[in-house]
Amino acid sequence: MDSLSLLMEGFAAALTPMNLLWVVIGAILGTAVGVLPGLGSAMAVALLLPITFSLDPTAAFIMFAGVYFGGLFGDSTSGILLNTPGNSSAIASTFEGHRMALDGRAAKALATAAMGAFIGGLIATTVVVFFAPVLVKMATAFGPAEYFALAVFAFLAISSVVSDSVVKGLLSLGLGLVLALVGVDGPSGTERYTLGLPQLFDGMSIVVITVGLLALGEVLHIASRIHRDETAVRVESKGRPRLDLSDIRRAMPAWLRGTAFGVPFGVIPAGGSEVPTFMAYGLEKKLAARNGDTDFGTTGSIRGVAAPEAAANATAGTAMGALLALGLPTSATAAIMLAAFQQYGMQPGPLLFERSGPMVWTLLASLFIGLVILLVLNMQFAVLWAKLLLIPRHYLYAGITVLSVLGVYAISSSIVDLWILLAIGLLGFLMRRYKFPLAPVLIAVILGPLAETELRRALTVSEGDLSILVGSPVTLVLYGLLAIALAVTGIQHLRHSKAARSQAPKLDNDRIGV
Amino acid sequence: MSTTKATPAPVSTGEDYPVRITGFWSGRSELIVPALVFTLAGFLTYGTATMEVMGKSVPGPQFFPTIVCVLLYLMAGIHTIQILRTRRFPQADSEGHNPDFSSDMLGDLGDTEGKSIYGAASTPTSAGKRRAYSDWKTMGMVIGAVAGFILALPVLGWVLSAAGLFWVACRALGSKRPLFDLSISILFSSLIQLAFNAGLGLNLPSGFLEGLI
Repeated sequence: MDSLSLLMEGFAAALTPMNLLWVVIGAILGTAVGVLPGLGSAMAVALLLPITFSLDPTAAFIMFAGVYFGGLFGDSTSGILLNTPGNSSAIASTFEGHRMALDGRAAKALATAAMGAFIGGLIATTVVVFFAPVLVKMATAFGPAEYFALAVFAFLAISSVVSDSVVKGLLSLGLGLVLALVGVDGPSGTERYTLGLPQLFDGMSIVVITVGLLALGEVLHIASRIHRDETAVRVESKGRPRLDLSDIRRAMPAWLRGTAFGVPFGVIPAGGSEVPTFMAYGLEKKLAARNGDTDFGTTGSIRGVAAPEAAANATAGTAMGALLALGLPTSATAAIMLAAFQQYGMQPGPLLFERSGPMVWTLLASLFIGLVILLVLNMQFAVLWAKLLLIPRHYLYAGITVLSVLGVYAISSSIVDLWILLAIGLLGFLMRRYKFPLAPVLIAVILGPLAETELRRALTVSEGDLSILVGSPVTLVLYGLLAIALAVTGIQHLRHSKAARSQAPKLDNDRIGV
Repeated sequence: MSTTKATPAPVSTGEDYPVRITGFWSGRSELIVPALVFTLAGFLTYGTATMEVMGKSVPGPQFFPTIVCVLLYLMAGIHTIQILRTRRFPQADSEGHNPDFSSDMLGDLGDTEGKSIYGAASTPTSAGKRRAYSDWKTMGMVIGAVAGFILALPVLGWVLSAAGLFWVACRALGSKRPLFDLSISILFSSLIQLAFNAGLGLNLPSGFLEGLI
């Protein structure tokens, strides 16, 4: 097989001491931010982005990939022990995981989660190795209209279909598009919305936007709540996580079912692993009810932990494939990694495999290595990772504040960028306070310029004829799927708001208000 | 393996938040978002109308911004109406709620039988102690620290201004050991300066300490 020999060359390049060091650093950082609630791999990659400029791209991406996977390994640890998932991707595995911990099986739950994350990631990465060339071949046939359709699909799927509120999602999307518009327009050379500031001619730096929204915005949000919210109670876990044969026999089908949910979702821009983890959890719950499994929902079922964890990492695996082969980011972390590629002057997509083939295969090989390292780190030292939760939150967030200003200053030594960072941090706080989704902003900032360029290119070719946008089977399929997804979401939102209205006593606005 | 403290806790044990309706703005502070969006869209409209277009390509550089403008006006309008019709109160349990994902959809997929996967929203009452949802004092201190850092950086240099930022942020976020924090702050900012100058070859400003370090 062609892919196999390329992958072997990748392994040869990835197994150098330096590259191994980057994998380990990435895995450790990723697990750490995963374990800590409130910090995520998207924020970690954003903060690392400016610091890695002086590295060679391969080393940087190996590290980012370690962070991406590591975040999904670590997030279940705090979920299981604290009942506070490190990230929303671990909510589904927290339900049963914390029950197991309360039942005295915390170590077993941690081991099941780590093993599940490993299996999910392993299968998904293998799928990527064999299917990435197929995706690349498909993508080479894409023209401007197809790329525009892909961008619109990603925009609406993330802002409307999966987000909590359609209106808020679209507002977030619009804000992101505005941020992306600032600067000199590439095709025509026109200055747009720069207020005449020369610092803005190149547009707003993606580093400033991501660090502001994800890091400084989070710090401000924490500051607004730290003296108001109480902290959760921790369940102690003693002993080394170990699974015996009967556990493995029980968890194996769930690991595989979870992976089956996760693999396709990596390629769909549905914002990451939350949707497949909940689908996997839902299926295990139904199966448990049918098989008369009494663990589920009482003392905690090993399968309820196994399936969502496998789903989460399987999503991350194929998301890397979609990012590399199509240039399509399907989650916030993937979007920031795409921005990282652009910073290095590379455009993920079919051309990346042609121009930087060795780098891509080294990256894929290092994903396998990273998974093995993460499995060891999380199986052997899960209890140690939980100690991270003892770091006082004020040091943690003060440190993040300093790292944010450091990262932004390091990219261009510009004071104007620091003021923009503060403004975007405030925007990030407002969005968190009023529960606006952040992923649409990131996707819009990163895919916005692509969407605009491809739209204008398509319309220039067709001389203004809009029918070119739906002129090929690929675009028709994409818009069709999008329409179905939007319709389903619309019905769901209506059903739930009707249910909420009939349950809750109606609040009489006019009487209580003044 | 064993457990101590086997207390079943909800996803996070946030205190139940007393919400009080005292006037028009109760539950309507969210109007600041559409106000900001309208301002932004206005700026965008003005910028688009007065743009000095270069080149004659069709569609030109004003085409896409126009679409974005329409989207912003439309959504900000709908959002305003929604807030005016129903007051919105913060959820008692805000930690862990990720608005990137529809909790209804996740609840359906995970088959949680109609139970919210997060805590329930606070119900408004007309009693209770009045207290802002956000802790403006802490937030103001952090924002002030960042603004102060930006102003001080060219004068004082990285080590001192970053140490100051770290120290003030620690105090604001609840640290009770000012002297210990001071040493941590200076250690942290100096380590960064060393790592950057020596390891990565990037220069951070040294301010008036230029030449001394």
